[in-house]
Amino acid sequence: MYKLIKNSNNEVSCVCRLADMACIPFDPANTDYQVYLAWLAKGNTPLPADTQP
Amino acid sequence: MTVIINGTDSSATTPALTGGTAGTSTGPYFPATNQWAVSTNGTQAMLVDASQNVTLSGTLYANLPNTFGFKNRFINGAMVIDQKNAGAAITQTTSRLSVVDRWQIYGSIASKFTAQQNAGAVTPPAGFNNYLGITSSSAYSIAATDIFYLTQWIEGFNFADMSWGTANAQTVTLSFWVRSSLTGTFGGSCVNSAENRSYPFTYSIAVANTWEKKSITIAGDTSGTWIGATNGVGLKLFFGLGVGTTYSGTAGAWAGALYLSATGATSVVGTNAATFYITGVQLEKGSMATLFDYRSYGTELGLCLRYYQTLPGIVVNPAASWLSITYVTPMRANPTVSGGGGGFTIDSASVYVGNFYQTTRAAQTITLSAEF
Repeated sequence: MYKLIKNSNNEVSCVCRLADMACIPFDPANTDYQVYLAWLAKGNTPLPADTQP
Repeated sequence: MTVIINGTDSSATTPALTGGTAGTSTGPYFPATNQWAVSTNGTQAMLVDASQNVTLSGTLYANLPNTFGFKNRFINGAMVIDQKNAGAAITQTTSRLSVVDRWQIYGSIASKFTAQQNAGAVTPPAGFNNYLGITSSSAYSIAATDIFYLTQWIEGFNFADMSWGTANAQTVTLSFWVRSSLTGTFGGSCVNSAENRSYPFTYSIAVANTWEKKSITIAGDTSGTWIGATNGVGLKLFFGLGVGTTYSGTAGAWAGALYLSATGATSVVGTNAATFYITGVQLEKGSMATLFDYRSYGTELGLCLRYYQTLPGIVVNPAASWLSITYVTPMRANPTVSGGGGGFTIDSASVYVGNFYQTTRAAQTITLSAEF
């Protein structure tokens, strides 16, 4: 399961992998992001982001 | 013109032809007993003395493409750096896991082997202080589609000059030290990023529990698509630890398919408690295996940090504020960031800088991973 993360500008900047709370950037070269994309492709949806302080 | 030299058969220590000086000529001569020289334009250019030392008078220009610079394209080939596990054993899963830096393990069925820096505490081969040890956890009979391997994926920036996928593809030589409780024929493979070009290879281990050095020369692939100078995968090198027939191919030839080992190779996971130790892994340009490129610890660690690094003791002061941290080394890609306790938020991370927010003042340790 994943959860979107917003940055200080309240823009979604990365996605949190809830299993280990790792922050995954939206970078096609990042292999964790590639796994996330495959997870999305299966029809899954991440949890929405909280508003950053 | 016909040149006739009259003489008798000679030995290395008693040449039939002796004497002569450089004089004003160009050619070979024998300046003293057990010495041989060559002159050009009346000056000695090269001397081979009685102890087989060679002295050159001019500048040496040699075709030694793999001697200088980044000779070994593998990082941490001597298994020295182990940032993530610090020498602890890990159990193989169905995800690729990092063992020592840059080296990863995988298995299609979980828990069939463990991996650890210096497992079994045997003496490494001369000149090395570390090795990576694989230990089989059971006697597992592999199915056709089973895959168990040790691998390192070389970044495109570090392999592009090999020009694979072009008519100018360079020959490379893989060399390594290996020791196993098993004997026989073992296998591995070179694979491209798209996993549709493979070169399975074999090597034999003749004596159990003895370090043996192996070298395998691979003619560069002139076909297929190979990642060039990018931060993608330039080459995937696999050491098979048990690979089923579906992913095993004919050794010594390029194939347009995904093969991770050679047909008939020994399965390490097929024997309970079997060991497979490896170190000194080198991949270099050319058709000859040269001495291992033992880089300084700082250099090797710096190379590893591009893929994985830890930032310890991060404290935001005052609390409830933002902090940007420039990494020790720029990373291969925007990293996955892990760690940080309560009140610590990871905002974003680029190749160079991470941005964090902390509401409670406490030291945090985070890790950055840009591994393949």
